[in-house]
Amino acid sequence: MSDKVHVTLTVNGRSVDADVEPRVHLADFLRHDLGLTGTHVGCEQGACGNCTVISDGVALKSCLTLAVQADGSEIETVESLATGDQLSPLQQAFKDAHALQCGYCTPGFLMTITALERRGGALSREELRGELAGVICRCTGYETIIEAAEDHLAEVAARG
Amino acid sequence: MVDLLHRHTAAGTGLGVSLPRVEDDRLLRGEGRFVDDLHPFQALHMAVLRCPFPRAQVVSIDISAALELTGVEQILVGSQVAERSEPISVLRPVPGAPDLPFFALATDVAHFEGQPVVSVVAQSRAIAEDALDLIDVEFDPLPHVSDVVSAMEPDAPLLHPNELATNRLVTNNQERGNPDGELAASAVVASDRFFVNRVTALPMEGRAVVAEWRQGARELIVQHSTQTPHLVRKQLAEALRLDEGSIRVLTDDVGGGFGMKLGIYPEDVLACLHALELGRPVKWVEDRTEHFRASTHARESVHDASIGATADGRFTAMTNAYATDLGALNSPFGSAQLTSITFGGPYNVEHIRTERLVTVTSKTPIGAYRGYGQPESNFVREVLIDRIARQLGRDPLDLRLQNLLRPEDLPWTNHTGAILDSGDYAATLRMATERVGYDALRAAGRGPRADGRLTGVGLSCFIERTGYPSARFLANRGSQFGAHEGVTLRANRSGGIDLITGVSSFGQSSETTFAQLLSEVTGIDAGLVRVHTGDTGASPVNTGGFASRTTIAAAGAIELAGLEFVGKALRIAAWLLEIDDPTSLAVRGTDIGPRDSDGPTVPLADVFSTAILGQGIPPSEAPGLEATAYYEPQAAAYAFGSAAAVVAVDPETGDFTIERFVMVHDCGVPVNPMLVEGQVLGALAQGFGAALMEELRYDPDTGQLLNGSLLDYFAPTAADLPHVELLHTEVPSPVTPLGVRGVGEIGTIPPGAAIVNAVCDALSDPQIELSRLPVTPEAVWRALADAAAKGGRA
Repeated sequence: MSDKVHVTLTVNGRSVDADVEPRVHLADFLRHDLGLTGTHVGCEQGACGNCTVISDGVALKSCLTLAVQADGSEIETVESLATGDQLSPLQQAFKDAHALQCGYCTPGFLMTITALERRGGALSREELRGELAGVICRCTGYETIIEAAEDHLAEVAARG
Repeated sequence: MVDLLHRHTAAGTGLGVSLPRVEDDRLLRGEGRFVDDLHPFQALHMAVLRCPFPRAQVVSIDISAALELTGVEQILVGSQVAERSEPISVLRPVPGAPDLPFFALATDVAHFEGQPVVSVVAQSRAIAEDALDLIDVEFDPLPHVSDVVSAMEPDAPLLHPNELATNRLVTNNQERGNPDGELAASAVVASDRFFVNRVTALPMEGRAVVAEWRQGARELIVQHSTQTPHLVRKQLAEALRLDEGSIRVLTDDVGGGFGMKLGIYPEDVLACLHALELGRPVKWVEDRTEHFRASTHARESVHDASIGATADGRFTAMTNAYATDLGALNSPFGSAQLTSITFGGPYNVEHIRTERLVTVTSKTPIGAYRGYGQPESNFVREVLIDRIARQLGRDPLDLRLQNLLRPEDLPWTNHTGAILDSGDYAATLRMATERVGYDALRAAGRGPRADGRLTGVGLSCFIERTGYPSARFLANRGSQFGAHEGVTLRANRSGGIDLITGVSSFGQSSETTFAQLLSEVTGIDAGLVRVHTGDTGASPVNTGGFASRTTIAAAGAIELAGLEFVGKALRIAAWLLEIDDPTSLAVRGTDIGPRDSDGPTVPLADVFSTAILGQGIPPSEAPGLEATAYYEPQAAAYAFGSAAAVVAVDPETGDFTIERFVMVHDCGVPVNPMLVEGQVLGALAQGFGAALMEELRYDPDTGQLLNGSLLDYFAPTAADLPHVELLHTEVPSPVTPLGVRGVGEIGTIPPGAAIVNAVCDALSDPQIELSRLPVTPEAVWRALADAAAKGGRA
């Protein structure tokens, strides 16, 4: 069990070298080895999406990926979004719309929507509901999350 | 009642303002501090071996191989835990019921799938789980009971033969008038048996604890994901045989609770026992598989209910004999206790009886969950009312309007002694039906639309008890907690106020609303208030965040403490300003100055620093600027409202969609309207989940949980929920500080009945009766098939 594997990856723009147990999933590696505890674990079965991060530009459930599989990849977590004291526009949209309550699932939504934003293209409200269905929130009922995502993506589109 | 005359609103951050939340920034940045985010130096990790059977004798346990695994530090079994601790206490016992004491680990018999049997502490969670695989437990499966109906069968296996002669724990009856006689004399009676599904609260963060003991300090620090830090401390002290002074519970961010995180669970005692003996921090974080089996479930009940009416539609009587499941053992709050209190709802019914029977089964213990019996009673009553309407050929809206209590009927004391304080119930129903276009929907005819679907509209009127009506009420129920909240206000030298509360932050936004309440009372800007939560070592002893009670009780405490605090601040400011009459002054933002005119002002920072330094204060004043107050509500406030659902049903497949959902609710004076909406929308989502999708299903033969994961227990996603149209009325409660009513649970109440009534309205076949939640397309299809078999719909 203790035969560790060396991995090199980029996390939030910084190069990381580490020795990890092969059985450790990426979420636990980020949280417990790198101290990036903003990524939350809700089920470890890929169902709740609370652990969603961005890997090489694509949203990824980090509980379904082993840390060793992330070798060589570029990972972004919720900790990358704000700049200094400034919330990112998406984070601000969540705050304005009251799109979070306990805040446990929030990083999963923020990273999912950030990946959507990068992908580009217009989404109807129904399509957006489908895109966000991979993250479970038990507090808000989603209405305000959808509102925040819609407002933010519309603003991004308007900026071109 | 608290004196409301001394209120200030100068800061513009008081009642009724949709201030953004102070909780948000840290959570949005990933800087929330949940228990699993803590990494104490040299922490050890606990894993728990659980009973895989619904009920089994623990014949033998062999831990020898596990003890040899490198990295394993300690293993505990039931006999050791029984020596070293006390059975876990109950906070809200079922009135009149015998104790069913149990230890943190099963001793001879394990009573449910998921009950802890062995605990292992190791260098890492992974090693602790490896060790579980090396432990050999011989279980001898025992007969089990997997639902409340079979629990009551005469030949049912006796689950607790030492404590109970049957599987009935207790029966509580409450009656007024002559319901049986009135039902017998009624022109129409609607009766049925209703089944309410077993669901689970499902916070996204499961339970979690870190315990650390320092022998020389005699201090056990317990970092805990809970809604009730002070009650956790009480229960841990009892279970661990420690004095409360030796335990400090710290609760930082909590990833949702919904009633499920009240008091302690066995794993909390286990983590502490290990920590006490090992002298190192011990961490346990529940995984989702454990959560579905070992965190409390909710709602499961069976109701035999009747409503009678005269030929002209007046309700004559209501009865409901219902059985709720306690599960296998007590949890801190046990099965729901608000079904009887709310069964009569917002209606004028003199003759009423509720019989509450609590059964034990071989399933995970039931605990508190948002709604706590009120969604159940609402579903039964509101569905029966629509059946009365069909029998009488009356419109369900007219029938409800005829029977709703009018504002002049309030306060109304119901058959349980509960007092509905105030409100205009019919106004909410009219608003909901006007918004949804009820008359047009009803007049549209019953024919299928172009897409082949039938449309229907369904109504649900509801009340919600918010807060507790005093500690005397709780004492009568045997509850081991009070109805009060306490708060400490402490000036700091920067001109801010530290507000210290035992309430923790689990998504309900108390940090923001408490600051707003203090702003309302004192005139200080809410931005100057720093709310410190969840530390039993720092906060006044309180009750905690549950039962839609926190804002009500805390509002009183904040008002009392705020008036005392600001009174002294004004006296010191008057002294500094050399003004004779302190009452001519007021807090204005960051300064104190003349209440009604321009004139010299003094910064709060100067006043507070002077007080703290104790130099230059009036000779009659003591140094420091701090106030602690407790407030105990003397009555509960009843929130209320009405909902209307519009559905479109495929009469061939039973598939249906909720095309509109309108809800009108009244929570009295809203502290922060944005947050009120958030609470209602969130509770509605859980109400939709329980009404449409969620059900913990057990195999009746094996007694095993069939869907204990998020892959097959369907919590709603963003793609599953209808858009909600939310409207408010605002009738201040006369029985609470500032006129507030609680708001946390109300959304869970109306969806089930409104949806079922809408589906039945769409199908407009009197033979189709839906009496079971959740109402799924399959359930509708089966009802259609049954009706066809009976010769109804072809």
